[in-house]
Formats: sequence, C-alpha cells, structure tokens
Amino acid sequence: MKGYRKYFLNKLLWFLVTFVCAFILNFTLPRLMPGDPVAAIVSRLAQGLSDATGVQAIYQQYTELFGTNRPMHEQFFIYVRNVLRGDFGFSFSQYPRTVASVIRSSIWWTVALQFPAIVTGWVIGNTLGALAAYLRGWFDKVLMPVSIFISNFPAFGMAIIMLVIFGVALGWFPTSGGYGFDLIPSFSWEFMWSVITHYQLPFWSIVLIAIGGQAIGMRSMSIYELNADYVKYARFMGIKDRKIVGYVFRNAMLPQITGLALAIGTMVGGALFAEIIFSYPGLGFTLYNGVMGQDYPLISAATLIITIMVLTANFLIEILYGIIDPRIKAAQAE
Amino acid sequence: MSAHKKWTSLFALVMIVSLALSCAAPTPEIIEKEVVVEKPVVQTVVVEKEVPVEKIVKETVVVEKVVKETVVVEKAEALPRQETLYFNGFQWGPVVCWNPYSANCNNAMAIAQGDNARVTMFETPYLYNMLDGKQYPLLADGDYQWNAARTELTFKLKEAAHWSDGTPLTAEDVAYTWATHVKYNTPTGAANKEYIETIEAVDPQTVVVKAKLDENGRAVNPLIVAAYVSSNYVIQKAWTQKLEERTGGDATELLADTAEDVVYSGPYHKFYTDDTKVIMVRDDNYWGQDPSMWGKLPAPKYLAHMIFKDNAAGSAALARGEVDVSQQFNSNVHLLWLNYGLPISTYLPDAPYHIGASLPTAFYNLKAHGLDQVAVRKAIAIAVDYPTIIANAMTNQSATFEQVPRSLMNPTPGEQAMYDHEAVKDLQWVGNDIEGAKKLLDEAGIVDTDGDGWREYQGKKLSYVATCPNGWSDWQAAIEVVAAAGKKIGIEITTNYPEWAVYQTVVTKSDTPLPPGYEIFMMWSAGTGITQPWGRIRNLLSSEWVGMPSNWNGNWGGYVNPRVDELLKAIPNETDPAKLKEMYTELVKIYLTDVPSFTLMYRPELFHTVNESVWTGFPHQEDGSVPPIPPMNCINGWSIACLYNIRLVSP
Repeated sequence: MKGYRKYFLNKLLWFLVTFVCAFILNFTLPRLMPGDPVAAIVSRLAQGLSDATGVQAIYQQYTELFGTNRPMHEQFFIYVRNVLRGDFGFSFSQYPRTVASVIRSSIWWTVALQFPAIVTGWVIGNTLGALAAYLRGWFDKVLMPVSIFISNFPAFGMAIIMLVIFGVALGWFPTSGGYGFDLIPSFSWEFMWSVITHYQLPFWSIVLIAIGGQAIGMRSMSIYELNADYVKYARFMGIKDRKIVGYVFRNAMLPQITGLALAIGTMVGGALFAEIIFSYPGLGFTLYNGVMGQDYPLISAATLIITIMVLTANFLIEILYGIIDPRIKAAQAE
Repeated sequence: MSAHKKWTSLFALVMIVSLALSCAAPTPEIIEKEVVVEKPVVQTVVVEKEVPVEKIVKETVVVEKVVKETVVVEKAEALPRQETLYFNGFQWGPVVCWNPYSANCNNAMAIAQGDNARVTMFETPYLYNMLDGKQYPLLADGDYQWNAARTELTFKLKEAAHWSDGTPLTAEDVAYTWATHVKYNTPTGAANKEYIETIEAVDPQTVVVKAKLDENGRAVNPLIVAAYVSSNYVIQKAWTQKLEERTGGDATELLADTAEDVVYSGPYHKFYTDDTKVIMVRDDNYWGQDPSMWGKLPAPKYLAHMIFKDNAAGSAALARGEVDVSQQFNSNVHLLWLNYGLPISTYLPDAPYHIGASLPTAFYNLKAHGLDQVAVRKAIAIAVDYPTIIANAMTNQSATFEQVPRSLMNPTPGEQAMYDHEAVKDLQWVGNDIEGAKKLLDEAGIVDTDGDGWREYQGKKLSYVATCPNGWSDWQAAIEVVAAAGKKIGIEITTNYPEWAVYQTVVTKSDTPLPPGYEIFMMWSAGTGITQPWGRIRNLLSSEWVGMPSNWNGNWGGYVNPRVDELLKAIPNETDPAKLKEMYTELVKIYLTDVPSFTLMYRPELFHTVNESVWTGFPHQEDGSVPPIPPMNCINGWSIACLYNIRLVSP
C-alpha cells in the first residue's frame, strides 16, 4: 500500500504541475495571436457611424473595459480573479454576456452530441476490431480496408455526404438545427421526436469516422496479444478459447481506454464540422468564432475546461491502471 | 467470464446514460429561458431596498407565479406556419440583450439603428425609403420642417403613438433619449454629438432638433441632423430612468444591461430565443393600427429567424420553404426558380436580381512604390476583368459596369441622377482594356527595362500583394481577378489572405503606413441613406480619416486632395440641386482621374429573396405600391410597409 501511496502522490504532483503550466499557456497563447480583438468589436459598432472621434471614443471605452491596454501580468491577475469568481469574465465577442453564460447555453448540446457519439463509436469500433482479429478470414479482409477508408474521411466530407444522401436526396432526416424550425422546446412527444430526428445526421457523421479508427487500433492490439506467449501457454494448458479471448481483449483494451478518456476529455471542444454543416447548436462553433474574433476569455475558458477534463481523465486512468495492472505501479513507483 | 459480464454491464450503463443525455439535452434550455423571462420582474422587486427581507421574498414568489402562468398561456409548442414569417441572414449567433441603447446586443431582428433602421420593436420618427431617397413619417406626424437658416428641424408626433405599456409617446421621450445618448456616450451619442446641439420638447407633440453651428453660424452638417430622425429609435423616458436607477448612472453598466423589461413602441416584441432561433410576437395593442398610420396590424403574428451557421444551410432551408424572406447571399439564386421550379423570386426578375447599393472597393496603398503614380493605378484598374468578377464572385447578382457606369454613386435611380453622366463619360472604364493599360504605362515611361517580363519604375520592379480577409469567398474571387490583370500588363501581383482578425487590425490602423503585403486591399463602402452619396464619398476620399488610430470610416489607402475636402465640406449645406449636381460631378471626375481606389462590383444593401409558398405580396419591381416599397426584407425603414401588404397564399 505504501508503494501505491507513493505512486498516487507522484501522479498528483505531476497533475498539479501540468495544470499550472497549462493554465499559464491557456492565458498566454491566445494573446500572442496577431490582431486586436477590440478592433473587431468596434467594427461591428462603427458601421454607420459618421464621426471619427465617436469611433475613437468607443474604441477607448472597450479597451478600458476589457483591459487589453494593460500590461500582460495585470491582465493575468484579472483573468485569475475572473476564473476564481467562476464566470470567466465578459466574452469579447458576445459582450455583455459572461463567458460562463455563453458556455452554459451551448455546452449541453455539445455533451449530448459528443458523449454518446464517442462512446458508441468506441464500442462498435472496438467490437468490430476485436472480431476482425479473432475471426480473421473474409470479415477481416472486408472490415480492414473499409475501416481505413472511412477513418481517413475528413469530418466535413462525411457530414456533407450524409447531408446530401440522407437529408437532401432521400429526405429521411432534417438538414439543419437542433429541433424543428417551427417548434419551441417543451415536454411534448412532437418536440422529443423532433430532437431525435435532428440528432441523427450529426451523430452518425461523428460515429462512423470514430468506428474506423477504433477498429483499426483494436485489431492491431488484439493480433499482437493473440500471438503473445501467455496465450500460447494458456492454450497448451488446455484453457477454453473463450476464457483466453477474455484475457486477450482485456489486455488489448488498455490503450483503447486511454484513447477513450482523451476523447471524452476533449469533447468539450465540440464537433465543429458537424455543427457548421448541420447548423447544430453547440460549443464548437462558438469556440471557433471566439478564436476567429480573438475572444481571449472565451478561448481561455474553453481550453481550460478541456485541460481540466483531459488532465482529470488521465489522472483517473493512471490511478486506475495502478490498481488494474500492478506492473505499471511497480515500474512508476521506483 | 465475470470480467466479460462487468464490461457488458459497463457498456450497457454508458449507452443508457448516452441516450438519456441525448434526449434530455434541450431541457436545461427551457429552464434557462424561463428564468430569463422572470428576471426583470425580480429586478423590479429588488429595487425596493427598504422593504424587510421576508416581504421581498413573498412578493417575489407571487410575481413569479403570475409570470409563469402568462408563459404557459402565451407559448405555443409549435408556431402555426400560416401565422409566422420566417427570415434568415440577419442573425448568425444567439441574442445577447434587448437594450436599444447598446449597439452590441447581436439582436438583429429587433435592434439595428442606422440609415435603414429596423423598426420591428423600436421605432424611429421617420422611415427612410432607399428607392426614392425620401423619409416617411412613422412616429412623426407629417414632414419635418427646417427653419430658414437650416439650423433647426421641427417635427410633430402622432397623437395615437403610445408605448407597449399603454402610456403616450411624447416629445419628452424623444428629448430624453437624445440626452441619455449624450450623457452616457453611447455609439449614437458619440456619432452625432458633433452635429446635434440639443433635442428639445416644445410641447408634448412637438420636437425641435437644434444643429451644432460652425464658426459662420451655419449648421455643421444638416444632412446628419436630418438622418438622425430616421436612423435612431425613440426610447421611453420612464423606462430609461428605471434603467439609470438600477445601473447607478454608470455608462458601462447601462450599455451592458440586458433590458429584458424594455418598453417599446413597435408592432413586435420578444417571444422566445435560444441558440437556434429568435422568435418575436405581434403586440395586438400596437398603436400603428390607428388610421393615422397603417390602419391595421401587420399580417404575420410571429416573426421567426432560425440561426444557421453558414449560407449553404440557409439556402437549403429557403429552398425547402422553411424560410420566407432571405437576407443572405444565395449563390446562383436564379437556379432556384429556373431549374427547380420553386416559388422563389428576387426583387428584379432577371440579373442583377437585386438593387445594388454598396460598392465593394479595392484600395491602393498610395505610399507603396509605384502606386503613388496615377498611371500604374489606372492601368491596373482598367485591365481588370469585371465581367468575370461579377459572374464568379456574385453569380451575376451585381449590375455590370456597362449597365451602371462607374462613378461614386450606387445604382439606385436617385443617386444616379446626382451627377452629369455625359461630363465624365470619357473617364469611365468597363475593364479588360489590356492594350489601353499597356499604352498608359508605356507613355508614363514605366516599361520593362531588364527584360524579365515585369515593368520597373525608377529601376525597381513593380510587385504587389493583393489581399482581402480569408474565407470571404466572393472577395477572394474578385482579388484573384485583379491579380490576373496585373500579370497581363507586366505588373506582378500575388495574392494573400490573412484572417479577418489580423486584416482588420492592420487596415484600420491609419496612423501608421500600411505594412508590405497590403498594397491592394478590399474594403466596403456605405450603402443607402439620407446622407448618401455624400457619406460614401466622404468615406472613400476624405483626408480626415488619415492619421486615425482606429479608422472604420474609409480612405484606408491614405488619399489626400484639398479640393475634395473642400467639396465634401460644402455639400451638406448646399440646397440648390443644380449646384449639388455640379459638385458631385466634379468629385466623380477627380475620383476617376486620380483612381485612389476602384469599385469591383455592385452589391445590394441587403439581399432580398422570397419564397412565396406560404406568404405572397412581397415587394417586386413595378409592383404598383405607392410609395414604392424597397426590397429591404420587410423590416428595415420604409420596407416595413410590406408586412401590412403580404397575405397568405392559401388562407
């Protein structure tokens, strides 16, 4: 147990160090981009203004308000204060909304789209990959090239193909929005059904690509494990095939779980292409606009959430690994 | 086996959670929106600070209950298609606030002050009509009157005009709105306080706008004073005072207030908004149904706007009939009715389909080597293949330069009549004039001396970068054509497309010379309005913008011509049409001779494409409406008259 505590503290320390570094980078990197975010806001306000000094006054007002005229270290402390307060400060691009309110209104759509898509893609992909490794033959011969083909599809390509086939040509599913254009959210069957039908195209456009990548990874890992010494030994021992397959997939699964954790950690970044092509609400497009409009607080907040989720997911997995696989703990604790 | 079972149950659990999440997703949305509705009510209660805490809580509860009941009664689960007019192309992100003092609410269906102000929720005294250039009374009663010296503008308000809370709309409201703009230095205040001294209420129905005077005792700019009355909303005094009270007189707080409780005078108000749509509902007590204005209510009960994330999604919805009025660039719009037989149309039946109003323009950096020479600037401009730009970038949704010869005017008949076409005929070019361009350069002694195929000026090769923001595909297509023209006449022009965030920072910084890479660059010019074409010409040519640290007005290339400045100063105070025509003609002459920048295409102020599956009777060319209703999407300026004309296809 002592070894495990050392392992745990070691991991916790690294977690904190990485977090502090990432936190500073989250703040600094967006601000190193060339360009002036306040100019973008003024551009929206200045349309139709006929007076030069008026535009200058507005520019000054917003520079002062957002603090972009202050030295970087002062801006950093303002940022820290805003983070601690929990609202991340005002969003530049959607002022006077706070970043927290911007994220709150779109994050549910993103989580609801991404989480099931990632998990479904992972489950189906790994199952198919494992089956391909185990069954081999025609199944493997068909699955492997198909997986490579699909997993290399650019996300926007897949989304557009699905849009054209199932949305426009066949007309099975609606092509844009999170729910019917003529509906208002309510607890009615009509609304629920509308949400479900609008969900299908963005969902499957993400799932299909995920399946291919997962299947390829799982297949390779399984083939490697199937040829490992312990499998041969187990066979010589006369252990049933089913039992052996259980061992094999459990071992092959380890790196796949890491991949899953990372995917879940980064899902808050949103599914940009699915969101744009299907005009689906979510954080991806909001964040994209934030980056384009140099909305520092929004970029920092979104990347901070991603950082925390990835770090936490990694941390939990490492801790879990320590328990599942004593070799890792032993090696790391030395 | 047990491990296998564990995995199976884990997967099952995860799948169930996923499905639950997917179904439950929008639920937090509903809850959040309800809270938003309640907010103003809670705020009014909080104001009563002296009341004991317990009492506040009780009152809050009672009031909340009332609001919730109203919500239930009002909110239909689905909008009846026959009562809803759908829009696209205005709103590209969620609504931020409902504050008419702020220009930052991203609330395009309700708030847009300017030459063609949006008058769905808030109203201006007058409505501008881009087709005839006139201002028609809305809140005002009859035309406004200038005094003899053109320093004071007086207008009356309609007796019938009242606010959504039933109180009358008076001159006091107009005066207080202006005073607030100035006091808190709102964008409107900042833009106009150099031109307007005060706005006063003479009696409850009479308003006097007093212009700021110059050293000669004349109004600094009567055009801007006149534009004010059709560009800016009248906001209720009582509500403004409430707003001031709760924001403690702080300008930033005042502008940042979400104003969910705002009192309005227009025919529509907030019904529902979220990340995917904005819906407004008609106020059936709207004052405008009085015979002194429209005499009836506007036809649609709801105005709805879906938030699409790109033009393609918007076009698809238009084709499916989920959008009635489309204010976005629909590529190859004519194919929608020619190839697909859809009941879709534009204001004009044939190309250019829309009334051009603004002039997307290529500016020269006049400090760049060689571009300080008129011959080089003019040679590039006359060599450009404009028909290709119009066909590719605009899919022919722009008039050609044969149809509307280039000047400083937009293609509207009103502006075209403002200069002498014959006098500048020899200066106007239609493009593709490679030989003419070569001749011009040869005559100026700008030739290829070292035989590398590129011309030199003072021993240095003419080499430029033409640029516009990345992703602005129509502009990028135009810039590519400009670059191609350079090659044909021996001037090396390459293209580069920085991101908009970078591009705008560089281009609008007029207090330092433009850096390399910005020798030829694209920006826009003003559209229609009561100050036009003067305002547009001022933006394109006035030297007052040179040296500004944040220049969002124009003349980004740094053109300075004292004669132009003189004319620009004189025009606003000139009332004699003949003299005005003379002055404008001189400006056009100077512009086409000096070529500090050049127009690449004509673009409509707003795209106006309608799908007549559900509603019909939208404005079209020669539709017989008097005064003519402009193609401004039925919500801007005088085009709001369209909402009283449209009718259902199958009632």
